[in-house]
Parts: sequence; C-alpha cells; structure tokens
Amino acid sequence: MADFPRIIDDRAASRFLVPREAFTSEATFEREYAAIFDRCWLYLGHASELAEPGSFLTRKVARRPILFTRDKAGEYHALFNACPHRGALVCRERKGAARAFMCMYHGWTFGSDGHLMSLPGSSGYPDGFKTDPQKQMVHVPRMERFGDFFFISFAADGEDLATYLAEAGDYLRLVSEHSASGMQIVGGTQEYAIRGNWKLLAENSFDGYHAACNHSTYLEYLKNANGALGATPLSGIAHDLGNGHAMVEYTAPWGRPIAHWVPLWGEEGKAEIAAIHAALEARVGSERAERIAHRNRNMVIFPNLVMNDIMAVTVRTFYPTAPGYMEINAWALAPREESEWLRKYRLYNFTEFLGPGGFATPDDVEAIEKCQQGYASGGDGLVNDISKGMNREDGALFDDEEQMRCFWREWDRRLAAVEA
Amino acid sequence: MMLVQIPDALLLRLAVEDLLFLEADLLDQWRLDEWLALYTPDAHYNVPPSDVDGDTADPDKALFYIADDHVRMRERVIRLNKVGAHSEHPRSKVRHLVSNVRVHREGDAIHARSSFIVWRSKDITSDAFVGHYLHRIIEADGGLKIASKTCVLDMEALRPHARISIIL
Ligand code: FES
Ligand SMILES: [Fe+2]
Repeated sequence: MADFPRIIDDRAASRFLVPREAFTSEATFEREYAAIFDRCWLYLGHASELAEPGSFLTRKVARRPILFTRDKAGEYHALFNACPHRGALVCRERKGAARAFMCMYHGWTFGSDGHLMSLPGSSGYPDGFKTDPQKQMVHVPRMERFGDFFFISFAADGEDLATYLAEAGDYLRLVSEHSASGMQIVGGTQEYAIRGNWKLLAENSFDGYHAACNHSTYLEYLKNANGALGATPLSGIAHDLGNGHAMVEYTAPWGRPIAHWVPLWGEEGKAEIAAIHAALEARVGSERAERIAHRNRNMVIFPNLVMNDIMAVTVRTFYPTAPGYMEINAWALAPREESEWLRKYRLYNFTEFLGPGGFATPDDVEAIEKCQQGYASGGDGLVNDISKGMNREDGALFDDEEQMRCFWREWDRRLAAVEA
Repeated sequence: MMLVQIPDALLLRLAVEDLLFLEADLLDQWRLDEWLALYTPDAHYNVPPSDVDGDTADPDKALFYIADDHVRMRERVIRLNKVGAHSEHPRSKVRHLVSNVRVHREGDAIHARSSFIVWRSKDITSDAFVGHYLHRIIEADGGLKIASKTCVLDMEALRPHARISIIL
C-alpha cells in the first residue's frame, strides 16, 4: 500500500501537526476503510431499539447494509443485509417486527437468525441445498454488547470489545447509571450529512476550544436572552481513555436532566431534580453521583462513536462515503422512567444546541465545511496545528487539544499497521 | 350582468393563501422580525425528523430537528440577525414555493395543509427541502395569525443537507 500522510508528534517541542492531505486524499480514505472501519469495533445500536423479541432494524454501518434482529427467543443477530441467492437487499424496511424476511426478488425466505427457511421451486435444487451454509444470510463476523450498547466488527479476529473500549467502557457505564431502570433511545433520529471529512467531526465533537468563537451566538443566548441559567462556569480537563478514545469532562452553566437544576426549571422542577439527585446518590454513591449530576462529558470512542453527556445525552455516529463527505446519525438517550415534564426539557435542551436545526450545530457544520474548502488551496506540506496544551505540565484542559491528539495518534498507528 | 358567486370556502382559502405567500415572501427576503410578527405569542414552530410520522409526532416525546416555542422562535430570529450566526453569514439565497393549499375550519382554528419546496443556496451548496406544511391559524386583531407551523419533510433523511439554518 502507498504511503499515507503521517502526523508529527514531537512532545519535547510541544509540536503536533496533521497533514491536510489526511482529509483530502482518496488513497488515504481507502486505507482508512482497510485499517480502521474494517478492523475496529463499530457502534451498531442500542438494546432499547429492539425492545421486543421479533423486532428488527436496518442500518448502514461503514457503508455496509446491516440487518439487526432479535429472534423470538430474544437473541440478537447482526446480519449482512444481502441475499445469498443473487445479492438483493433482503429487508427493505427501516424497522418493524417480523417472523421472517422474504427477499422480494425470487422469494427466498429467511429467519431472524438468517437461516434459509424456504425457497420457491426447490425441486430445481439438489438435496441439502437449503441447509448449505453458503445459502444462509451471512452474520457480521463479530457482534458484542457492552451493557445495552451493541458493537460489531468486520474483522473475524482481534481483541474483544471490553478490551478495545479500555477506559471508555467505564463512561458507557456512567451514562447507563443515569437510570435505575435502564436507558432508552427516544424515538426520532437526526439523519444528516456534512460535506467535509469525517475526522473533522470527530475533532469537533469534543473541541472545547472553539465554543467561545464558533458558538458566540449560542453562549450569548444562554447568558442574556434566556437569563434563567445557573452561574456554573465552563471549566474542566481532558482524559486519555486509551486505544484512541478520549474525553473532555467539565462543568457548564446549562441544566442537566440528571441532575443539575437551573432557574429556568422553576421551584417545582427544583424539588424533582433534588429527588432525582438523592435517589442517584443512594444508588451509585456520592462520588459517582456528583460526576453524573454536575459534570458534562464529550467522548469520542475511536473511530466514530460520539457519546455526549451534556444538556441531554446524544449518541452519534458517522461514516465517510468519500474524503469530503460523511453521513451522520444522531439519537437521544434518556432514562426509561423519566417523567413527562423532564423528558420534555431534555428534548428541548437537545434541539436547542444539537442537531441540524439547533443554535450551535449549524455553525459546527459551517466550520467543518469551510475547513474542507480551505484544504482545496492545497500546497505540499500544509499542516493543521493540534498542539494546544501540549506545553502544560499538569495535564491538558478541556479547551486544549489533547483529546484530539489521542484520536490522531491512534489513527496514525492504525494506518501505519495495515498490511503494506 | 351576472357576478360569479365566490363560495365562502374559497374565500377562506384565498385569505389563508395570502398569509402563506406573505410568510414565504418575508422569509425569502430575510425580513425575519416581520415574519415573527405573523405568529401568536404562544406559537410553535416544529420540524420533525424523517423516521416518525411527522403529521402526528409530539416534540415532547420524540427527538425533532426543530421544536421551538415562541421564546425560541424569537431567539432564533435574534441569532440569525447576528454576524456570529456563521452558517447564515453571509446569508444564503432562499426561495420558498408554496402550493396545493387545502383549508378547513375546526372550532376557532383554521387548519391549512400545503406543499412546499424551499431552496437554500450558498457557495458550494444548493439544497432543496421538500415537504408539507401544517399551519394552525386563528383570527385575531381583525386578521389572521399563525398559532403553529409544522414543516413535515417528505424526504428520507436530511441528506446531503447538513443543516436547517434557515427558517423553512
Ligand atoms: S436475490 Fe434474493 S431470492 Fe433471488
Ligand atoms: Fe461545536
């Protein structure tokens, strides 16, 4: 395989540079599929999305169409959504409940576990044809769950999911601990695209440095117009979680449904939030409750799972289809037992900041697209600077760039490791 | 001489169309303060996502793209009037086309259902938002005011669009 643009990581000189070619090169893009998307554990979905035995959903993961099912015994299956006969998509619906899936081309019919149940005109085939392993729908090589989060890997071998997640696993647990009865994906998916390289969104998802400039109008809205927020300042640190995963953890002025009250929610809301806080403390202990209730976390699980536990909890994943284009899916995660009142605020919080119609995300999109356009100016050796905070002796702050360096070091390591 | 009788239902539709065309025109011209003045003080503006039934979905129970009450509609206008709303500075070119307006009364409210295409063009981007509007309109101050507007996208996803930074 050809060379790829290497990062420059010089800790002694506090220099960290990423060649812009990493965002524009077709060869690098294909190499990323081979080295990263076909090797790493990738997010598939949440258990709450297949709440009932017999339910299913279809979803693209790293360009591949996947059928995610739960059979009548309750077992989960991740299948490539392609017919073993001549390759048509077997399931053409987004989600639903089904005992069997009939391919609309010639009528081969499969169970939720992908086995061939029946085929028209079977007298034209030899004995044993129906049970031939090659005539069954193909399982994704590996699927594992961590709590209620399901991941898949297109590589048959490699480390198990828990090892791969390293310290990020504990933060997936922390998000699950928001609820006594389990978290669920709230209905409604934000599905959009950005005309920019996927790594720009990984960076942006936990970039604490850009808020003051890029989101000035959102911060002004919080400060002046709303006038109902707390006085908690934006302040915190970055964590390296291992294996390319990283996170920023910080305090912020906005309300958190679990469980940081702001004046906007009124006295009645104060009592409800206090009760949630007390129950949380009783359940997970005061130290953990403190973090869950009052700290915000923006985490990127390498390569492309964003779990932002901020004014709402968002689960977001994104895949490139070209160096300059990515497709994004984002969901809201919430406690099952949440009251109608709090669910309403949670969703109100979410749409205020996040997503294509929010007061902040459109400006992130603008920044990402303008970066991609800027890279067209080309020029050999042009590089991005990701060094902020490298010179600090006692650890990087939330608005430094250490979390991005964690991502880039892993990106570089994996691209270098792929078979030449 | 015979004058053609115009039925009341048609007159009502004409009055509603006039309001919807005015709304579209104000948005195309970025006269956002005047746009906001078309709404009642307790109005709502919603854009549901593509994987729910947009005609009936509840923004308090499902994740939407936009779920604004009047406070946030006002804040949206304030924000879009600022240079710091980067996605819309410089402003994109916008064109709202509204057609197939159907109207019926339900109690004090007038319900209008119409089709829209909204084009947004800016530098590398030219995107069409296609869908239908559900307007709830009431009679107030001797005229018509909009009490809520839901923009249901008849699209599989918001792709390649990256944002709804304009008002649909
Ligand atoms: S391709 Fe599916 S039955 Fe023929
Ligand atoms: Fe941002």
